[in-house]
Amino acid sequence: MNMAMTRHGNGIRIRGLRKDYKLGSTIVSALRDVDLDIEPGSFVCVAGPSGSGKTTLLNIIGLIDSPTSGSLTVAGVDLRSIPERETNRYRSRTLGFIFQTFNLLPVLTVYENIRLPLLLHKEVSKEEKRDRVIELAEAVGLADHLEHKPAELSGGQRQRVAIARALVTRPSIILADEPTANLDSVTGNEVLELMEGINESRGTTFVFSSHDPSIMQRARRIVRLHDGRIEAA
Amino acid sequence: MGRLGLCLKNLGRHGWRTRVILFIALFGAFLTFVSENIIEDISIKQSEMFGRSSVGHFRILNAGIETENTFGYYFYEPSEMLGPEAIASVKAFLATLPEVTGARERIVFNGVYYNDEDAERGFNGIAMDMADFDRDFTDLYYAKGARLASGEADACAASWYEYEQEKSVDIGSRYVFLLPNRNGEFVDRYLSVKGGIDFKTMPKETMGFNAMFFDLAGFRAAVGYDEPAASEVIGFLADSRTMGKVIPKIETFLAASHPELKVVSWREYAPIMSEMVIGFDAMMKAVETILIVICVLLVFKLTTFSIIERYSEIGTMRALGFTRTDIALQFALEGFLVIAAGAAAGCLLGAGLIALLHETGIRNSLTFFEYVIGHGFNPSLHADKISRVVAVFAAVAALSPLLPAIRGGRLSILKTLEKR
Repeated sequence: MNMAMTRHGNGIRIRGLRKDYKLGSTIVSALRDVDLDIEPGSFVCVAGPSGSGKTTLLNIIGLIDSPTSGSLTVAGVDLRSIPERETNRYRSRTLGFIFQTFNLLPVLTVYENIRLPLLLHKEVSKEEKRDRVIELAEAVGLADHLEHKPAELSGGQRQRVAIARALVTRPSIILADEPTANLDSVTGNEVLELMEGINESRGTTFVFSSHDPSIMQRARRIVRLHDGRIEAA
Repeated sequence: MGRLGLCLKNLGRHGWRTRVILFIALFGAFLTFVSENIIEDISIKQSEMFGRSSVGHFRILNAGIETENTFGYYFYEPSEMLGPEAIASVKAFLATLPEVTGARERIVFNGVYYNDEDAERGFNGIAMDMADFDRDFTDLYYAKGARLASGEADACAASWYEYEQEKSVDIGSRYVFLLPNRNGEFVDRYLSVKGGIDFKTMPKETMGFNAMFFDLAGFRAAVGYDEPAASEVIGFLADSRTMGKVIPKIETFLAASHPELKVVSWREYAPIMSEMVIGFDAMMKAVETILIVICVLLVFKLTTFSIIERYSEIGTMRALGFTRTDIALQFALEGFLVIAAGAAAGCLLGAGLIALLHETGIRNSLTFFEYVIGHGFNPSLHADKISRVVAVFAAVAALSPLLPAIRGGRLSILKTLEKR
């Protein structure tokens, strides 16, 4: 299967997506018949209260979780039918992840954390890897902190490192699960501004989740989830 | 920073666990390295030195002689001695065996001497060619007094070993000895004790002994042998470990040419020596095995802990596109590096110790074994043993973290990320 999707032509198409969890003898539906189209270059917020299915939806788009039924297509490729090797490739080349808790590797410096995903990109030369890392570190305002370890950074700085790490492979889609949840409102807004700027300058699709109204309003499109269903998109 | 760099950085994060694995690997490799090389040296020395007089030889003698548990001092009838033709035939055959470095006839007998109080004391006697004594028994001779010359008929040498004052002689003194002739009849001779083999290097002029040595030609002349008979032909091995290969060849030859003769090794007439060697070897192997097993289990356990602690990291890396194999290799490589580093340090320490022993040896000792060690036991490094230790620890390093590493790679991304 050809996973060479065009850089900014990776529209996401979701149809009849359902995710059920079995809790003992009870089946809990986290997502119910979700239909969703996300155009390339979008800046989309998946909003909803806790337990509404935001994280599950992002996890399924990121191939971290699998749906019970339904289809997920990116750039015309049905991701449910691709083998595991291709899912790894999809995650490393098409997607970038930003986590609520940053998930930086504590033993690595800022430079090394940003560079980490490029370990999988043999086709990129050492020089280009270095250039990309430095460029992104400058873009997220951490050029002076390249040798720092995550423990030496503030929460906002860590999330900036995570954003740079997500961007370093030049993915077309970035999934961010509550990227500002662990940050104060000022820092959260700064991070969101950074994401907006990247979205505008690079055309990278951002799909992020939040239940914070001040964050939601920054999105150009809000997909509201409630009890696993899309209320408004 | 590549994969290796990432592993090296991760090694520092586990503190005491890394150090425990490192130490166990170091200790295990050190002990294995030293014992493997020293055991090898002991095997060689058994052949080269004291061992040739105890474990690096075999004896061919009349099949009717009971030798089991006699420690080589057996009883026999004069008719059971080997005549000149049999001796020549056996020696000629032994000369064709590449493993055998020499063969010569000896007379093992029981004699009597009268001490200063004129009390009768029995002793074990060995008459052999003193010209070969140096080569076969190396430096375990004449620690006291003068050498016994080849062909010397009026002197003998004592092997001081047991400090029993009741069985003692003075160096340089003369005593009346009762020695058996070819017919088994005892004849009395007035002989001097010129010197002796001192197993313990004790500074005593008078000590107990466990055997008296005579020059073969001198002995025959002294007691009046009418033919150059001997009670046995003793054969020496270049390497005592070839015993198992040599004995069957000799048995085949004897069955065809001399059915009245048999070949016995020290395993039969001195089983305690065999048990000691086997026991020592088994003990060292057991210690090595236990250390290796502990090492494997610890690495297994600690790698598992490490994986549990790093669930979130595994999830993150998988989300970034790293495959299950990448994750498994990462943990396996980390485990490998710690064990390999510890084992390498252990081998280096072991090599250092052996080099030190090689240079210095152990001297001024009092016990028999220390004497043996101190007078020539300079262990050296053996390429095959080094290869063996390196191979064993490479296998330990590669295999022990493998299972938990594979398990780590198989973890679900979702579950590992949920642990954050």
